[in-house]
Amino acid sequence: MTTGVVTALPRVDDQDLTDRIIGDHAGRPGALLGILEKLQDANRYKYLPMETLEYVAMRTGIPQAQVYSVATFFTLFNLDPQGVHTVAICRGTACHTRGSRALLERVKLQLGVGATVDAAGKVTMTTPDRRFTIRTVACFGQCALAPVVEVDHAIRGHVKEQVLIREVETLRKGGTR
Amino acid sequence: MTEKVKVRIDGEVIAATAGQTILEVARTNNKYIPALCYMEGLSTVGACRLCMVEVSGVARLLPACTTPVQEGLAVATTSPQLESYRKMALELLFAERNHVCAVCVSSGHCELQTLAQEHGVTSVRYPYSYPRLPVDTTHPRFVLDHNRCVLCSRCVRTCAEVEGAHVWDLAGRGVGSRLVSELQRPWGEATSCTSCGKCVQACPTGAMAEKGFGVEEMTKRRAAVSRLTSMREGE
Ligand code: SF4
Ligand code: SF4
Ligand code: FES
Ligand code: FES
Repeated sequence: MTTGVVTALPRVDDQDLTDRIIGDHAGRPGALLGILEKLQDANRYKYLPMETLEYVAMRTGIPQAQVYSVATFFTLFNLDPQGVHTVAICRGTACHTRGSRALLERVKLQLGVGATVDAAGKVTMTTPDRRFTIRTVACFGQCALAPVVEVDHAIRGHVKEQVLIREVETLRKGGTR
Repeated sequence: MTEKVKVRIDGEVIAATAGQTILEVARTNNKYIPALCYMEGLSTVGACRLCMVEVSGVARLLPACTTPVQEGLAVATTSPQLESYRKMALELLFAERNHVCAVCVSSGHCELQTLAQEHGVTSVRYPYSYPRLPVDTTHPRFVLDHNRCVLCSRCVRTCAEVEGAHVWDLAGRGVGSRLVSELQRPWGEATSCTSCGKCVQACPTGAMAEKGFGVEEMTKRRAAVSRLTSMREGE
């Protein structure tokens, strides 16, 4: 994974790959979900650009509105480019009562990002250099470990503010965990 | 699927065809069950939960618009529990968006307003969420006011199933759910829209209207849309 500053955003990373992914799934039940998942995965910034959604609709014959509906229903899909590192903070009830709001506010301050609402109404926060994305999760299902934070796909329980800040700082300095 | 069955609605024995929904049987026999997302001629989605009924032997309430009848089924269309449930469902719809009937093109002809009056909803017990929502005026002939949309998806199904264009769909989930045209494009830029206006006619509230109407002036021709599908079935 690159950690350098991101400049140009490719529309579709690889046209052949896109066509192959669509071709592999076409006609199967639930094809759309599989196509979107694979395309997002293949995208450098782990998101589905509007051009990609438009292209999928055109190639599969699935109405654009339906493609959009699926892409916005599942929280797994991103409509905005994602940062290289992801910090996901749980905002479920258990984590809330154990101070997850303070964690969220603290990390936002540390990375200097404000919340933006994407086209689908999902709240995501990505730093302008696209190195970090902060997001909130409704519940990780690990409430006994509240507050729960996921850093680059590793779940952490009983998270303390200072520990989280140090971990993010390490990532920011380009180190690996 | 033409097996005949006998069901009871509010104690009265009624002959029906297996596979018909409770709501269809009730309607053809002049038994009233409130409904909002249901529209004759469209597929059913069971989204609004206003058509809930009690079925004997079943502990939970069932949506009449999606539950098929079976031999011996006994349905109660009204009870104190159902009344309070329906009232709650209606109040939540009002609390979710900005319904200001006094300045609505559909006031007096709105299905949501009519249902509220029928169920004695004179105030809302829940806090209003006052979402900030746009009004899409980009289409040359029609307007979409998200503030008055109840997400019933009747416009979505009408456009997809009757007109065959599928301009609309519901995006997002939960409180963030919104009606969108194509890839969240302004309606006026949606190239798949044929401007037939059927979605507008199918919309139960003032969320979709024709331009040029003032408060209380927008009446709709829902039956015309339903009739189209029944005519096609006869082909
Ligand atoms: S759509 Fe119906 S309920 Fe909503 S404001 Fe208009 S009249 Fe009132
Ligand atoms: S615009 Fe009207 S028909 Fe469409 S979902 Fe909203 S309330 Fe229902
Ligand atoms: S509330 Fe945070 S994991 Fe369940
Ligand atoms: S009419 Fe049955 S759920 Fe809406």
